[in-house]
Amino acid sequence: MSYIEVKDLSFSYTGKRMILKDISLSIEKGEWVAILGHNGSGKSTLAKAMVGLLEPNQGTIAYDGVVLTNDTAYDIRKKVGIVFQNPDNQFVGVTVRDDIAFGMENLMVPQKQMLEMIDFYSEKVGMKDFLDKEPSTLSGGQKQRVAIAGILAMQTQVIIFDEATSMLDPYARRDLIEYIQKLNQEGITVIMITHDINEAMYANRLVILKDGTIFSDGDKWSLFKQPEIFENSHLELPFSLKLAAALDDSLPEEKAVKDFLWQSISNT
Amino acid sequence: MKNIVIGQYIPGKGLFYRMDPRTKIISVITLMIAIFLLGSIPQLLVAFSVCAVMMWVGNIPVKRVIRGMKPLIILLLFTFFFQIFFNKEGKLLLDEVMHVTVVSVLGIVLWTIIWRLLARIGKFKTVLLLAYIMGIFVLFRFLPFGYSFTTFRFAIYEKGIEMSIFVIIRLVIIISLSTVLTLTTKPTDLTQGLESLMRPLKIIGIRSEDFALIISISLRYIPTILDEAFKIMAAQASRGADFAEGKLKDKVKQVISLLVPMFIIAFKRSEDLADAMESRNFVPGKPRTRIHELRFGWTDIGVGVFTLAALALTIVLKVIG
Repeated sequence: MSYIEVKDLSFSYTGKRMILKDISLSIEKGEWVAILGHNGSGKSTLAKAMVGLLEPNQGTIAYDGVVLTNDTAYDIRKKVGIVFQNPDNQFVGVTVRDDIAFGMENLMVPQKQMLEMIDFYSEKVGMKDFLDKEPSTLSGGQKQRVAIAGILAMQTQVIIFDEATSMLDPYARRDLIEYIQKLNQEGITVIMITHDINEAMYANRLVILKDGTIFSDGDKWSLFKQPEIFENSHLELPFSLKLAAALDDSLPEEKAVKDFLWQSISNT
Repeated sequence: MKNIVIGQYIPGKGLFYRMDPRTKIISVITLMIAIFLLGSIPQLLVAFSVCAVMMWVGNIPVKRVIRGMKPLIILLLFTFFFQIFFNKEGKLLLDEVMHVTVVSVLGIVLWTIIWRLLARIGKFKTVLLLAYIMGIFVLFRFLPFGYSFTTFRFAIYEKGIEMSIFVIIRLVIIISLSTVLTLTTKPTDLTQGLESLMRPLKIIGIRSEDFALIISISLRYIPTILDEAFKIMAAQASRGADFAEGKLKDKVKQVISLLVPMFIIAFKRSEDLADAMESRNFVPGKPRTRIHELRFGWTDIGVGVFTLAALALTIVLKVIG
Protein backbone atom coordinates (compact mmCIF):
# COMPACT_ATOMS: atom_id res chain seq x y z
CA MET A 1 0.00 0.00 0.00
CA SER A 2 1.42 3.35 -1.03
CA TYR A 3 1.36 6.48 1.07
CA ILE A 4 -1.18 8.16 -1.19
CA GLU A 5 -3.78 5.97 -2.84
CA VAL A 6 -6.28 7.45 -5.26
CA LYS A 7 -8.79 4.83 -6.36
CA ASP A 8 -11.34 5.06 -9.20
CA LEU A 9 -11.87 8.75 -8.57
CA SER A 10 -14.61 10.44 -10.58
CA PHE A 11 -15.82 13.97 -10.26
CA SER A 12 -18.34 16.22 -11.92
CA TYR A 13 -19.53 19.70 -11.00
CA THR A 14 -22.90 19.40 -12.70
CA GLY A 15 -23.50 15.66 -12.71
CA LYS A 16 -23.41 15.60 -16.52
CA ARG A 17 -19.91 16.28 -17.80
CA MET A 18 -17.30 14.30 -15.92
CA ILE A 19 -14.21 16.36 -15.12
CA LEU A 20 -12.37 13.35 -13.69
CA LYS A 21 -13.01 9.79 -14.79
CA ASP A 22 -11.77 6.73 -12.90
CA ILE A 23 -8.47 8.16 -11.78
CA SER A 24 -6.27 5.67 -9.95
CA LEU A 25 -2.89 6.71 -8.70
CA SER A 26 -0.45 5.50 -6.07
CA ILE A 27 2.24 7.80 -4.80
CA GLU A 28 5.02 6.75 -2.46
CA LYS A 29 6.43 8.83 0.31
CA GLY A 30 9.22 11.14 -0.85
CA GLU A 31 8.32 10.93 -4.52
CA TRP A 32 8.22 13.92 -6.87
CA VAL A 33 5.35 13.49 -9.28
CA ALA A 34 4.36 15.93 -11.98
CA ILE A 35 0.74 15.83 -13.03
CA LEU A 36 0.78 17.19 -16.53
CA GLY A 37 -2.12 18.22 -18.68
CA HIS A 38 -3.36 20.96 -20.95
CA ASN A 39 -6.14 23.37 -19.96
CA GLY A 40 -9.34 21.60 -19.03
CA SER A 41 -7.71 18.23 -18.50
CA GLY A 42 -8.96 18.18 -14.91
CA LYS A 43 -5.61 18.57 -13.20
CA SER A 44 -6.63 21.40 -10.86
CA THR A 45 -9.83 19.60 -9.99
CA LEU A 46 -7.75 16.57 -9.05
CA ALA A 47 -5.55 18.76 -6.84
CA LYS A 48 -8.57 20.22 -5.04
CA ALA A 49 -10.11 16.80 -4.56
CA MET A 50 -6.85 15.53 -3.09
CA VAL A 51 -7.03 18.02 -0.21
CA GLY A 52 -10.72 17.52 0.30
CA LEU A 53 -11.88 20.85 -1.13
CA LEU A 54 -14.09 19.00 -3.58
CA GLU A 55 -16.02 15.88 -2.75
CA PRO A 56 -15.66 13.16 -5.40
CA ASN A 57 -18.77 11.56 -6.86
CA GLN A 58 -17.07 8.20 -6.83
CA GLY A 59 -13.90 6.63 -5.60
CA THR A 60 -11.62 7.31 -2.66
CA ILE A 61 -8.45 9.12 -1.76
CA ALA A 62 -6.45 7.73 1.12
CA TYR A 63 -3.38 9.01 2.91
CA ASP A 64 -1.41 6.48 4.92
CA GLY A 65 -4.40 4.18 4.88
CA VAL A 66 -6.88 6.81 6.09
CA VAL A 67 -9.65 7.53 3.60
CA LEU A 68 -10.39 11.23 3.02
CA THR A 69 -13.91 12.09 4.14
CA ASN A 70 -15.52 15.12 5.74
CA ASP A 71 -14.63 13.68 9.15
CA THR A 72 -11.01 12.91 8.38
CA ALA A 73 -10.30 16.01 6.25
CA TYR A 74 -9.07 18.00 9.25
CA ASP A 75 -6.48 15.35 10.19
CA ILE A 76 -5.47 14.66 6.61
CA ARG A 77 -4.81 18.35 5.97
CA LYS A 78 -2.18 18.15 8.69
CA LYS A 79 -0.34 15.80 6.35
CA VAL A 80 -0.99 17.44 3.01
CA GLY A 81 -0.87 21.09 2.04
CA ILE A 82 -1.52 22.87 -1.21
CA VAL A 83 0.05 25.94 -2.80
CA PHE A 84 -2.26 27.58 -5.31
CA GLN A 85 -1.62 29.45 -8.52
CA ASN A 86 -2.36 33.03 -7.48
CA PRO A 87 0.10 34.21 -4.83
CA ASP A 88 -2.23 36.99 -3.71
CA ASN A 89 -5.37 34.96 -3.22
CA GLN A 90 -3.88 32.61 -0.65
CA PHE A 91 -2.17 35.15 1.56
CA VAL A 92 -4.43 35.34 4.59
CA GLY A 93 -2.30 37.25 7.11
CA VAL A 94 -1.76 40.97 7.34
CA THR A 95 1.98 40.35 7.58
CA VAL A 96 4.30 37.49 6.61
CA ARG A 97 4.45 36.38 10.25
CA ASP A 98 0.67 36.30 10.55
CA ASP A 99 0.35 34.34 7.35
CA ILE A 100 2.83 31.65 8.33
CA ALA A 101 1.02 31.44 11.67
CA PHE A 102 -2.45 31.05 10.16
CA GLY A 103 -2.37 27.27 9.72
CA MET A 104 -0.75 26.72 13.11
CA GLU A 105 -3.36 28.93 14.77
CA ASN A 106 -6.02 26.67 13.29
CA LEU A 107 -4.19 23.65 14.70
CA MET A 108 -4.16 25.27 18.17
CA VAL A 109 -0.36 25.38 18.38
CA PRO A 110 0.68 27.37 21.50
CA GLN A 111 1.99 30.86 20.79
CA LYS A 112 5.53 30.24 22.00
CA GLN A 113 5.96 27.21 19.78
CA MET A 114 4.47 29.12 16.84
CA LEU A 115 7.10 31.83 17.17
CA GLU A 116 9.87 29.23 17.12
CA MET A 117 8.40 27.50 14.09
CA ILE A 118 7.96 30.79 12.26
CA ASP A 119 11.61 31.59 12.88
CA PHE A 120 12.70 28.19 11.65
CA TYR A 121 10.57 27.93 8.54
CA SER A 122 10.88 31.54 7.45
CA GLU A 123 14.65 31.03 7.58
CA LYS A 124 14.25 27.91 5.51
CA VAL A 125 12.43 29.67 2.67
CA GLY A 126 14.62 32.76 2.96
CA MET A 127 11.91 35.09 4.24
CA LYS A 128 13.18 35.69 7.77
CA ASP A 129 14.01 39.33 7.13
CA PHE A 130 10.50 39.97 5.84
CA LEU A 131 8.45 38.75 8.80
CA ASP A 132 6.87 42.13 9.51
CA LYS A 133 6.29 43.00 5.86
CA GLU A 134 2.86 43.31 4.33
CA PRO A 135 1.94 41.19 1.31
CA SER A 136 1.59 44.23 -0.96
CA THR A 137 5.31 44.90 -0.55
CA LEU A 138 6.32 41.36 -1.58
CA SER A 139 6.90 39.87 -5.01
CA GLY A 140 4.91 36.92 -6.27
CA GLY A 141 7.78 34.52 -5.67
CA GLN A 142 8.20 35.73 -2.11
CA LYS A 143 4.49 35.26 -1.46
CA GLN A 144 4.65 31.70 -2.76
CA ARG A 145 7.60 31.01 -0.47
CA VAL A 146 5.59 32.35 2.47
CA ALA A 147 2.79 30.00 1.46
CA ILE A 148 5.25 27.09 1.51
CA ALA A 149 6.54 28.13 4.94
CA GLY A 150 2.98 28.28 6.24
CA ILE A 151 2.32 24.76 5.04
CA LEU A 152 5.62 23.35 6.31
CA ALA A 153 4.96 24.88 9.71
CA MET A 154 1.89 22.66 9.93
CA GLN A 155 4.28 19.67 9.72
CA THR A 156 2.90 18.44 6.43
CA GLN A 157 4.48 15.51 4.60
CA VAL A 158 3.00 16.18 1.18
CA ILE A 159 2.81 19.47 -0.72
CA ILE A 160 0.69 19.84 -3.82
CA PHE A 161 1.72 22.72 -6.09
CA ASP A 162 -1.26 23.67 -8.22
CA GLU A 163 0.38 25.67 -11.04
CA ALA A 164 2.20 27.46 -8.26
CA THR A 165 4.84 28.94 -10.55
CA SER A 166 2.67 29.95 -13.50
CA MET A 167 2.20 33.54 -12.35
CA LEU A 168 5.88 34.12 -11.57
CA ASP A 169 8.65 35.53 -13.73
CA PRO A 170 11.30 33.10 -14.99
CA TYR A 171 13.81 33.91 -12.25
CA ALA A 172 11.30 33.59 -9.43
CA ARG A 173 10.12 30.37 -11.04
CA ARG A 174 13.59 28.84 -11.06
CA ASP A 175 14.10 30.04 -7.50
CA LEU A 176 10.91 28.44 -6.28
CA ILE A 177 11.74 25.19 -8.02
CA GLU A 178 15.10 25.16 -6.28
CA TYR A 179 13.30 25.44 -2.93
CA ILE A 180 11.01 22.62 -3.93
CA GLN A 181 14.02 20.49 -4.86
CA LYS A 182 15.50 21.09 -1.44
CA LEU A 183 12.25 20.12 0.25
CA ASN A 184 11.99 16.97 -1.81
CA GLN A 185 15.54 16.00 -0.82
CA GLU A 186 14.51 16.39 2.79
CA GLY A 187 11.76 13.85 2.30
CA ILE A 188 8.71 15.97 1.47
CA THR A 189 6.50 14.35 -1.13
CA VAL A 190 5.94 16.79 -3.99
CA ILE A 191 2.99 16.66 -6.34
CA MET A 192 3.34 19.27 -9.01
CA ILE A 193 0.33 20.15 -11.10
CA THR A 194 1.47 21.89 -14.27
CA HIS A 195 0.95 22.40 -17.97
CA ASP A 196 4.58 23.36 -18.46
CA ILE A 197 6.66 20.45 -19.59
CA ASN A 198 9.93 22.16 -18.68
CA GLU A 199 8.75 22.33 -15.11
CA ALA A 200 7.59 18.73 -15.19
CA MET A 201 11.14 17.73 -16.14
CA TYR A 202 12.20 18.29 -12.54
CA ALA A 203 9.96 15.42 -11.42
CA ASN A 204 10.96 11.81 -11.58
CA ARG A 205 7.56 10.59 -12.57
CA LEU A 206 5.08 12.03 -15.00
CA VAL A 207 1.34 11.50 -14.87
CA ILE A 208 -0.31 12.84 -18.00
CA LEU A 209 -3.97 13.73 -17.75
CA LYS A 210 -6.16 14.03 -20.82
CA ASP A 211 -9.88 14.81 -20.67
CA GLY A 212 -10.13 13.72 -17.07
CA THR A 213 -8.41 10.37 -17.41
CA ILE A 214 -4.85 9.27 -16.87
CA PHE A 215 -3.38 9.04 -20.34
CA SER A 216 -0.03 7.72 -19.21
CA ASP A 217 1.90 7.36 -16.02
CA GLY A 218 5.53 6.45 -15.64
CA ASP A 219 9.17 7.35 -15.33
CA LYS A 220 9.89 10.53 -17.29
CA TRP A 221 12.65 9.02 -19.42
CA SER A 222 10.54 6.13 -20.57
CA LEU A 223 7.76 8.58 -21.50
CA PHE A 224 10.07 10.95 -23.33
CA LYS A 225 11.04 8.10 -25.61
CA GLN A 226 7.46 7.98 -26.85
CA PRO A 227 6.84 11.45 -28.28
CA GLU A 228 3.44 10.40 -29.61
CA ILE A 229 2.11 10.36 -26.04
CA PHE A 230 2.76 14.06 -25.75
CA GLU A 231 1.36 14.84 -29.17
CA ASN A 232 -1.85 12.98 -28.41
CA SER A 233 -2.38 14.84 -25.13
CA HIS A 234 -1.77 18.29 -26.69
CA LEU A 235 1.48 18.83 -24.84
CA GLU A 236 4.60 20.22 -26.35
CA LEU A 237 7.86 18.41 -25.85
CA PRO A 238 10.76 20.46 -24.51
CA PHE A 239 12.70 22.11 -27.30
CA SER A 240 15.80 20.01 -26.71
CA LEU A 241 13.82 16.78 -26.96
CA LYS A 242 12.09 17.92 -30.11
CA LEU A 243 15.41 18.79 -31.68
CA ALA A 244 16.90 15.52 -30.66
CA ALA A 245 14.00 13.64 -32.16
CA ALA A 246 14.19 15.64 -35.38
CA LEU A 247 17.86 14.93 -36.01
CA ASP A 248 18.60 11.94 -38.15
CA ASP A 249 20.81 9.16 -36.87
CA SER A 250 22.38 8.54 -40.26
CA LEU A 251 24.72 11.50 -40.28
CA PRO A 252 27.67 11.16 -37.91
CA GLU A 253 27.98 14.90 -37.16
CA GLU A 254 24.34 15.04 -36.30
CA LYS A 255 24.71 11.98 -34.17
CA ALA A 256 27.26 13.83 -32.13
CA VAL A 257 24.92 16.80 -31.78
CA LYS A 258 22.14 14.48 -30.71
CA ASP A 259 24.28 12.79 -28.09
CA PHE A 260 25.27 16.15 -26.76
CA LEU A 261 21.65 17.24 -26.54
CA TRP A 262 20.58 14.09 -24.74
CA GLN A 263 23.47 14.64 -22.39
CA SER A 264 22.45 18.23 -21.68
CA ILE A 265 18.83 17.45 -20.92
CA SER A 266 19.70 14.60 -18.61
CA ASN A 267 21.69 17.13 -16.61
CA THR A 268 18.75 19.47 -16.02
CA MET B 1 0.37 51.41 -4.84
CA LYS B 2 3.02 49.76 -2.74
CA ASN B 3 2.92 52.11 0.20
CA ILE B 4 -0.72 52.68 0.90
CA VAL B 5 -1.32 53.41 4.56
CA ILE B 6 -4.51 52.19 6.10
CA GLY B 7 -5.62 53.91 9.24
CA GLN B 8 -3.74 56.64 11.01
CA TYR B 9 -1.22 54.49 12.80
CA ILE B 10 2.30 55.88 12.94
CA PRO B 11 5.04 53.61 14.26
CA GLY B 12 6.72 54.91 17.36
CA LYS B 13 7.70 54.35 20.93
CA GLY B 14 6.20 55.63 24.12
CA LEU B 15 3.68 55.13 26.84
CA PHE B 16 0.70 54.49 24.59
CA TYR B 17 2.56 52.08 22.34
CA ARG B 18 3.32 49.81 25.26
CA MET B 19 -0.32 49.56 26.25
CA ASP B 20 -2.69 46.72 25.51
CA PRO B 21 -5.25 47.81 22.89
CA ARG B 22 -8.06 46.72 25.22
CA THR B 23 -6.95 49.11 27.94
CA LYS B 24 -6.64 51.86 25.39
CA ILE B 25 -10.13 51.33 24.01
CA ILE B 26 -11.75 51.13 27.44
CA SER B 27 -9.76 54.11 28.74
CA VAL B 28 -10.74 56.28 25.78
CA ILE B 29 -14.41 55.39 26.21
CA THR B 30 -14.26 55.99 29.97
CA LEU B 31 -12.51 59.32 29.55
CA MET B 32 -15.09 60.36 26.96
CA ILE B 33 -17.87 59.61 29.43
CA ALA B 34 -15.98 61.60 32.05
CA ILE B 35 -15.67 64.55 29.65
CA PHE B 36 -19.42 64.47 29.02
CA LEU B 37 -20.03 64.61 32.77
CA LEU B 38 -18.09 67.86 33.12
CA GLY B 39 -20.38 70.88 33.30
CA SER B 40 -18.37 74.10 33.01
CA ILE B 41 -15.70 75.70 30.87
CA PRO B 42 -13.06 75.85 33.66
CA GLN B 43 -13.50 72.13 34.33
CA LEU B 44 -13.15 71.39 30.62
CA LEU B 45 -10.04 73.54 30.43
CA VAL B 46 -8.49 71.51 33.26
CA ALA B 47 -9.42 68.31 31.41
CA PHE B 48 -7.94 69.78 28.25
CA SER B 49 -4.63 70.52 29.96
CA VAL B 50 -4.58 67.03 31.46
CA CYS B 51 -5.03 65.63 27.94
CA ALA B 52 -2.28 67.90 26.64
CA VAL B 53 0.09 66.69 29.37
CA MET B 54 -0.86 63.08 28.53
CA MET B 55 -0.01 63.61 24.89
CA TRP B 56 3.25 65.26 25.83
CA VAL B 57 4.16 62.34 28.11
CA GLY B 58 3.15 59.86 25.43
CA ASN B 59 5.23 61.62 22.77
CA ILE B 60 2.26 62.14 20.48
CA PRO B 61 2.96 64.47 17.55
CA VAL B 62 0.56 67.38 18.07
CA LYS B 63 0.57 68.15 14.36
CA ARG B 64 -0.97 64.80 13.61
CA VAL B 65 -3.67 65.29 16.23
CA ILE B 66 -4.57 68.65 14.71
CA ARG B 67 -4.57 67.11 11.26
CA GLY B 68 -6.99 64.50 12.60
CA MET B 69 -9.40 67.33 13.42
CA LYS B 70 -9.42 68.79 9.93
CA PRO B 71 -12.20 66.64 8.50
CA LEU B 72 -14.33 67.62 11.48
CA ILE B 73 -13.90 71.36 11.11
CA ILE B 74 -17.28 71.69 9.38
CA LEU B 75 -18.90 69.91 12.32
CA LEU B 76 -17.09 72.19 14.77
CA LEU B 77 -18.17 75.32 12.89
CA PHE B 78 -21.70 74.05 12.64
CA THR B 79 -21.99 73.45 16.39
CA PHE B 80 -20.40 76.82 17.04
CA PHE B 81 -22.86 78.79 14.90
CA PHE B 82 -25.78 76.65 15.94
CA GLN B 83 -25.19 77.58 19.57
CA ILE B 84 -24.64 81.27 18.73
CA PHE B 85 -27.80 81.55 16.66
CA PHE B 86 -30.26 79.55 18.65
CA ASN B 87 -29.24 79.89 22.26
CA LYS B 88 -31.21 82.81 23.57
CA GLU B 89 -30.40 82.71 27.26
CA GLY B 90 -28.42 85.09 29.42
CA LYS B 91 -27.52 88.69 28.75
CA LEU B 92 -28.06 90.17 25.30
CA LEU B 93 -24.64 91.04 23.87
CA LEU B 94 -25.35 92.07 20.33
CA ASP B 95 -28.53 93.02 18.54
CA GLU B 96 -28.36 94.10 14.94
CA VAL B 97 -30.91 94.50 12.19
CA MET B 98 -29.95 92.68 9.00
CA HIS B 99 -31.21 93.86 5.61
CA VAL B 100 -32.00 91.53 2.78
CA THR B 101 -31.99 93.99 -0.12
CA VAL B 102 -31.22 93.91 -3.83
CA VAL B 103 -27.74 95.30 -3.20
CA SER B 104 -26.86 93.03 -0.28
CA VAL B 105 -28.10 89.92 -2.14
CA LEU B 106 -26.06 90.91 -5.21
CA GLY B 107 -23.09 91.55 -2.94
CA ILE B 108 -23.42 88.09 -1.44
CA VAL B 109 -23.61 86.46 -4.86
CA LEU B 110 -20.42 88.29 -5.84
CA TRP B 111 -18.77 87.42 -2.51
CA THR B 112 -19.64 83.75 -3.02
CA ILE B 113 -18.02 83.77 -6.46
CA ILE B 114 -14.87 85.40 -5.05
CA TRP B 115 -14.82 82.86 -2.22
CA ARG B 116 -15.10 79.89 -4.60
CA LEU B 117 -12.36 81.29 -6.82
CA LEU B 118 -10.06 81.80 -3.86
CA ALA B 119 -10.90 78.36 -2.47
CA ARG B 120 -9.77 76.84 -5.76
CA ILE B 121 -6.18 77.84 -4.95
CA GLY B 122 -6.46 75.24 -2.23
CA LYS B 123 -4.71 76.83 0.70
CA PHE B 124 -6.21 78.24 3.94
CA LYS B 125 -9.59 76.73 3.14
CA THR B 126 -10.81 76.96 6.72
CA VAL B 127 -9.75 80.57 7.11
CA LEU B 128 -11.49 81.38 3.84
CA LEU B 129 -14.66 79.68 4.99
CA LEU B 130 -14.64 81.71 8.20
CA ALA B 131 -13.97 84.91 6.24
CA TYR B 132 -16.83 84.04 3.92
CA ILE B 133 -19.28 83.64 6.79
CA MET B 134 -18.10 86.89 8.41
CA GLY B 135 -18.43 88.64 5.08
CA ILE B 136 -22.06 87.62 4.76
CA PHE B 137 -22.82 89.28 8.12
CA VAL B 138 -21.06 92.43 7.09
CA LEU B 139 -22.91 92.57 3.77
CA PHE B 140 -26.32 92.02 5.39
CA ARG B 141 -25.59 94.56 8.09
CA PHE B 142 -24.06 97.43 6.15
CA LEU B 143 -25.76 97.34 2.73
CA PRO B 144 -29.35 98.46 3.43
CA PHE B 145 -29.67 99.98 -0.07
CA GLY B 146 -32.09 99.33 -2.87
CA TYR B 147 -35.37 97.48 -2.70
CA SER B 148 -35.65 95.67 0.62
CA PHE B 149 -37.11 92.16 0.55
CA THR B 150 -37.18 91.75 4.29
CA THR B 151 -35.20 92.42 7.43
CA PHE B 152 -34.34 90.14 10.33
CA ARG B 153 -32.77 90.56 13.72
CA PHE B 154 -29.46 89.00 14.54
CA ALA B 155 -28.87 88.70 18.26
CA ILE B 156 -26.10 87.06 20.25
CA TYR B 157 -26.64 86.18 23.89
CA GLU B 158 -24.05 85.56 26.57
CA LYS B 159 -25.10 81.95 27.05
CA GLY B 160 -24.79 81.32 23.32
CA ILE B 161 -21.13 82.30 23.29
CA GLU B 162 -20.48 80.33 26.44
CA MET B 163 -22.17 77.19 25.20
CA SER B 164 -20.48 77.31 21.82
CA ILE B 165 -17.04 77.53 23.43
CA PHE B 166 -18.03 74.77 25.86
CA VAL B 167 -19.19 72.42 23.12
CA ILE B 168 -16.14 73.10 20.99
CA ILE B 169 -13.65 72.38 23.77
CA ARG B 170 -15.53 69.20 24.55
CA LEU B 171 -15.44 68.08 20.93
CA VAL B 172 -11.76 68.93 20.59
CA ILE B 173 -10.89 66.85 23.65
CA ILE B 174 -12.94 63.91 22.44
CA ILE B 175 -11.45 64.01 18.96
CA SER B 176 -7.91 64.20 20.33
CA LEU B 177 -8.56 61.25 22.63
CA SER B 178 -9.74 59.07 19.79
CA THR B 179 -6.90 60.31 17.57
CA VAL B 180 -4.39 59.25 20.21
CA LEU B 181 -5.97 55.80 20.12
CA THR B 182 -5.79 55.44 16.35
CA LEU B 183 -2.33 57.02 16.08
CA THR B 184 -0.74 54.59 18.51
CA THR B 185 -2.64 51.38 17.72
CA LYS B 186 -2.22 49.29 14.58
CA PRO B 187 -5.53 48.53 12.85
CA THR B 188 -4.90 44.82 13.47
CA ASP B 189 -4.32 45.39 17.19
CA LEU B 190 -7.40 47.55 17.34
CA THR B 191 -9.47 44.77 15.77
CA GLN B 192 -8.01 42.20 18.11
CA GLY B 193 -8.72 44.43 21.10
CA LEU B 194 -12.30 44.97 19.97
CA GLU B 195 -12.69 41.25 19.34
CA SER B 196 -11.50 40.44 22.80
CA LEU B 197 -13.78 43.04 24.36
CA MET B 198 -16.76 41.85 22.34
CA ARG B 199 -16.29 38.22 23.33
CA PRO B 200 -19.10 38.31 25.92
CA LEU B 201 -21.50 38.98 23.01
CA LYS B 202 -21.26 35.24 22.31
CA ILE B 203 -24.24 34.86 24.66
CA ILE B 204 -26.47 36.61 22.15
CA GLY B 205 -24.96 34.67 19.26
CA ILE B 206 -22.46 37.18 17.89
CA ARG B 207 -19.07 35.60 17.26
CA SER B 208 -16.50 38.32 17.67
CA GLU B 209 -13.78 36.08 16.14
CA ASP B 210 -15.57 36.09 12.80
CA PHE B 211 -15.94 39.82 12.97
CA ALA B 212 -12.23 40.26 13.67
CA LEU B 213 -11.24 37.89 10.87
CA ILE B 214 -13.46 39.76 8.41
CA ILE B 215 -11.88 43.07 9.38
CA SER B 216 -8.32 41.77 9.20
CA ILE B 217 -8.88 40.14 5.80
CA SER B 218 -10.47 43.35 4.52
CA LEU B 219 -7.47 45.33 5.74
CA ARG B 220 -5.14 42.87 4.06
CA TYR B 221 -6.96 43.02 0.73
CA ILE B 222 -7.49 46.78 0.43
CA PRO B 223 -4.10 47.38 -1.28
CA THR B 224 -4.53 44.32 -3.51
CA ILE B 225 -7.96 45.36 -4.69
CA LEU B 226 -6.92 48.99 -5.14
CA ASP B 227 -4.04 47.78 -7.28
CA GLU B 228 -6.54 45.80 -9.29
CA ALA B 229 -8.71 48.88 -9.74
CA PHE B 230 -5.78 50.88 -11.11
CA LYS B 231 -4.92 48.07 -13.51
CA ILE B 232 -8.47 47.94 -14.84
CA MET B 233 -8.56 51.72 -15.13
CA ALA B 234 -5.28 51.68 -17.03
CA ALA B 235 -6.61 48.94 -19.29
CA GLN B 236 -9.76 50.92 -19.98
CA ALA B 237 -7.86 54.17 -20.44
CA SER B 238 -5.62 52.45 -22.99
CA ARG B 239 -8.75 51.70 -24.97
CA GLY B 240 -9.93 55.30 -24.86
CA ALA B 241 -11.90 55.61 -21.62
CA ASP B 242 -11.49 59.03 -20.02
CA PHE B 243 -11.87 58.98 -16.25
CA ALA B 244 -10.96 62.60 -15.61
CA GLU B 245 -13.44 64.39 -17.81
CA GLY B 246 -16.91 64.04 -19.18
CA LYS B 247 -20.36 64.70 -17.82
CA LEU B 248 -21.66 63.22 -14.62
CA LYS B 249 -23.66 60.69 -16.63
CA ASP B 250 -20.49 59.50 -18.39
CA LYS B 251 -18.65 59.31 -15.12
CA VAL B 252 -21.35 57.15 -13.58
CA LYS B 253 -21.12 54.86 -16.61
CA GLN B 254 -17.37 54.62 -16.20
CA VAL B 255 -17.66 53.81 -12.52
CA ILE B 256 -20.05 51.00 -13.39
CA SER B 257 -17.69 49.68 -16.05
CA LEU B 258 -15.02 49.66 -13.34
CA LEU B 259 -17.18 48.13 -10.64
CA VAL B 260 -18.44 45.17 -12.65
CA PRO B 261 -15.01 43.63 -13.33
CA MET B 262 -13.91 44.56 -9.80
CA PHE B 263 -16.79 42.60 -8.31
CA ILE B 264 -16.22 39.60 -10.54
CA ILE B 265 -12.54 39.55 -9.61
CA ALA B 266 -13.34 40.03 -5.93
CA PHE B 267 -15.69 37.04 -5.99
CA LYS B 268 -13.06 34.93 -7.71
CA ARG B 269 -10.51 36.03 -5.12
CA SER B 270 -12.78 35.22 -2.23
CA GLU B 271 -13.43 31.77 -3.66
CA ASP B 272 -9.68 31.14 -3.94
CA LEU B 273 -9.09 32.53 -0.48
CA ALA B 274 -11.78 30.31 1.01
CA ASP B 275 -10.07 27.30 -0.58
CA ALA B 276 -6.68 28.39 0.73
CA MET B 277 -8.04 28.92 4.24
CA GLU B 278 -9.91 25.63 4.27
CA SER B 279 -6.88 23.72 2.99
CA ARG B 280 -4.93 25.17 5.92
CA ASN B 281 -7.48 23.73 8.29
CA PHE B 282 -9.54 26.79 9.03
CA VAL B 283 -12.91 25.74 10.42
CA PRO B 284 -15.33 28.60 11.17
CA GLY B 285 -16.25 28.76 14.83
CA LYS B 286 -13.52 26.37 15.91
CA PRO B 287 -11.24 27.74 18.63
CA ARG B 288 -7.81 28.88 17.45
CA THR B 289 -4.66 29.99 19.17
CA ARG B 290 -3.22 33.40 18.34
CA ILE B 291 0.18 34.50 17.18
CA HIS B 292 -0.41 37.88 18.82
CA GLU B 293 -1.52 37.40 22.37
CA LEU B 294 -2.79 40.42 24.23
CA ARG B 295 -1.15 40.93 27.59
CA PHE B 296 -1.74 43.54 30.25
CA GLY B 297 1.39 45.19 31.61
CA TRP B 298 2.26 47.71 34.30
CA THR B 299 1.47 50.61 31.96
CA ASP B 300 -2.04 49.25 31.59
CA ILE B 301 -2.56 49.14 35.34
CA GLY B 302 -1.22 52.69 35.70
CA VAL B 303 -3.37 54.12 32.92
CA GLY B 304 -6.36 52.12 34.13
CA VAL B 305 -6.05 53.54 37.64
CA PHE B 306 -5.65 57.05 36.23
CA THR B 307 -8.73 56.66 34.05
CA LEU B 308 -10.89 55.36 36.88
CA ALA B 309 -9.67 58.17 39.14
CA ALA B 310 -10.59 60.72 36.48
CA LEU B 311 -14.04 59.20 36.10
CA ALA B 312 -14.56 59.13 39.89
CA LEU B 313 -13.50 62.77 40.14
CA THR B 314 -15.92 63.90 37.44
CA ILE B 315 -18.76 61.99 39.10
CA VAL B 316 -17.97 63.67 42.39
CA LEU B 317 -17.88 67.06 40.67
CA LYS B 318 -21.19 66.33 38.99
CA VAL B 319 -22.82 65.35 42.30
CA ILE B 320 -21.44 68.37 44.18
CA GLY B 321 -21.98 70.84 41.35
